[in-house]
Amino acid sequence: MVVRQYNEELKYLEKVNPHCWKIKKGFQPNMNVEGVFYVNNTLERLMLEELKNSCRPGMTGGFLPGVKQIANVAALPGIVGRSVGLPDIHSGYGFAIGNMAAFDMSNPKSIVSPGGVGFDINCGVRLLRTNLHEKDVQPIKEQLAQSLFDHIPVGVGSKGIIPMNARDMEEALEMGMDWSLREGYVWAEDKEHCEEYGRMLNADPSKVSLRAKKRGLPQLGTLGAGNHYAEIQVVDEIYDKFGAGKMGLERIGQVCVMIHSGSRGFGHQVATDALVQMEKAMKRDQIEVNDRQLACARINSVEGQDYLKAMAAAANFAWVNRSSMTFLTRQAFAKQFKMSPDDLDMHVIYDVSHNIAKMEEHIVDGKIKTLLVHRKGSTRAFPPHHPLIPVDYQLTGQPVLIGGSMGTCSYVLTGTPQGMTETFGSTCHGAGRALSRAKSRRNIDYKEVLGKLESLGISIRVASPKLVMEEAPESYKNVTDVVDTCHAAGISKKTVKLRPIAVIKG
Amino acid sequence: MFKLKLKALGHPNPENFNCEDEKEYRSIVLWLEDQKIRHYKIEEREGLRNIDSDSWKEAYDTYQKDLVSPINSGDPNEQLNWLLSYAVRLEYGDNVTKYKDVKVEQPKQATPNVVSSNPLDNLDFGSSAFVAGVDRICALTGVGPHPNPKFRLSAVAKILKTAPHPDHNKGDASIVQQPNDVLKLLFIQDLRELQTKINEALVAVQSVTADPRTDTTLGRVGR
Repeated sequence: MVVRQYNEELKYLEKVNPHCWKIKKGFQPNMNVEGVFYVNNTLERLMLEELKNSCRPGMTGGFLPGVKQIANVAALPGIVGRSVGLPDIHSGYGFAIGNMAAFDMSNPKSIVSPGGVGFDINCGVRLLRTNLHEKDVQPIKEQLAQSLFDHIPVGVGSKGIIPMNARDMEEALEMGMDWSLREGYVWAEDKEHCEEYGRMLNADPSKVSLRAKKRGLPQLGTLGAGNHYAEIQVVDEIYDKFGAGKMGLERIGQVCVMIHSGSRGFGHQVATDALVQMEKAMKRDQIEVNDRQLACARINSVEGQDYLKAMAAAANFAWVNRSSMTFLTRQAFAKQFKMSPDDLDMHVIYDVSHNIAKMEEHIVDGKIKTLLVHRKGSTRAFPPHHPLIPVDYQLTGQPVLIGGSMGTCSYVLTGTPQGMTETFGSTCHGAGRALSRAKSRRNIDYKEVLGKLESLGISIRVASPKLVMEEAPESYKNVTDVVDTCHAAGISKKTVKLRPIAVIKG
Repeated sequence: MFKLKLKALGHPNPENFNCEDEKEYRSIVLWLEDQKIRHYKIEEREGLRNIDSDSWKEAYDTYQKDLVSPINSGDPNEQLNWLLSYAVRLEYGDNVTKYKDVKVEQPKQATPNVVSSNPLDNLDFGSSAFVAGVDRICALTGVGPHPNPKFRLSAVAKILKTAPHPDHNKGDASIVQQPNDVLKLLFIQDLRELQTKINEALVAVQSVTADPRTDTTLGRVGR
């Protein structure tokens, strides 16, 4: 890493407009394209402070600041357009979380990097609607929260209640949500409202290690720990009446359920296995990168293809996982309200993936190109009339589900044509961490956090209260800042704001 | 084979002619020259008349050359087919007045008449409205003149396919925008119908395969 004074570093950054900064070539060595990041005033201060801190003498090692990570990604072989940092960006393994980058599939030197997908492969958010009103839920909120907690096992080492053997697992990895559909855990309409229709066709379970499968098997249908949660939310504000209407969100106070989860230990193991393979491939193909953590392989190499096939299997795992939790949520609601999920209109509004690499067609320099788009902590946000979004959203653009930090609020956005041209149809994914986990544990008291949620009228069920401070709103950037920046920059459009009334967490 | 042509030429036995039989083949060639083609004088037909002779083949080859048959090197059936067609042509030439007014009976269609549900198929491509519309699109996309409007329309399609965002005059944007919006809405409606049918099919399969189970004894809450 180049060591320069903070003032020197600033010369490479240029504010293009109030919400967008450019990172010029030379900020990090060998940059093939420029970098860009989206911020508002508050987030800009956080971003630059992080850079300033890393410039202080003696600050070697530890996390690289987000801006540096964006620039390192811009130096990867085969990258096209720009390396994009979204407003919720924060340091991650290799790629920052909140970084998207696209690689030209027709360039034989282009790479795929597990660090650009993340360890929780196909971590994502699913939103279910109901026809209930807040006042229907308030009297039995505690029971409902408990019922959800009983149905959906949470926390580190939790095990699911949907019986599965090794053969079911193999089938699920290959079929994704089609497996859940075949077995009757979800509705046909759920598949329709899911990115990729809930199944990546290039998945190959034979490319997944036995270890990953063993870790994954008992975890299907569990929420996991960390920032994952299931929340009962109510519609707090509607910004775009037409868009919200298309999603079946018609009035303030309407109850929804948001599920934020991923591929659990399975995806983590797939990523870990791939990193080992890729280090070898890098040596063989002489791929130079700025940061060791940016381990990668050429897309067309054996290692690259194997990773993509295993990643697709992990993505399928995550969809089956969220589908199983959809089933359990419907069961819990049906029991409490003594009505069928059908009568409660518990449809999936949409299901987004915010840790994934996908092959997509985009227009680069006026020509259609097939790209491998890495989105890590970044959500796909395709504009109206895009062929890959469900027919119901052809006029509104793809729904983008943004889960806030625990106990704050969440948003539904929609994709825009501007996002398609500026950020390859990508936008933010959530609040984005401001404090590291360790720092949160030191600085915040868990009792205070739980007390605060209670005072806000939010029921909470947690498996491990002592880890709650890692997820306290204070540890995160303000999700409203993040969403407002995306809206103002035009890369997605605010549609609905949701506020939680009950939280289930690991 | 060749039944229709033989019948048209008034052959006495068109039903039972077997072109694979060498002898019948040779006699039909002779019959054609004697009765219909009459390219040679009678005494010159000696070579063709010796049906049993080994030199018949040579005479036949020369005959074809003399007729300037385009397929003198093809297989015998093709050669004969040409001879028959040639004879029919001569027959027609001799009696133009007789055949001129003959109406061909329309053969019955085997498949029922399919009425296309695609409104585009039923467009009147010759109508002045269509021509005027094509003129306007061509002006916008810069396609030059051609007498056939369908030809010009396919040129426009080619341009639109290769350049996804043609620069169009901002002032005329609504001319392109309105029909574009209508097409998109029609497309979305079709797509919704298709998706509903897909969902119905999935539900039908589910009624056979679905058996969702849960087993709460398996569950474990983590730390």
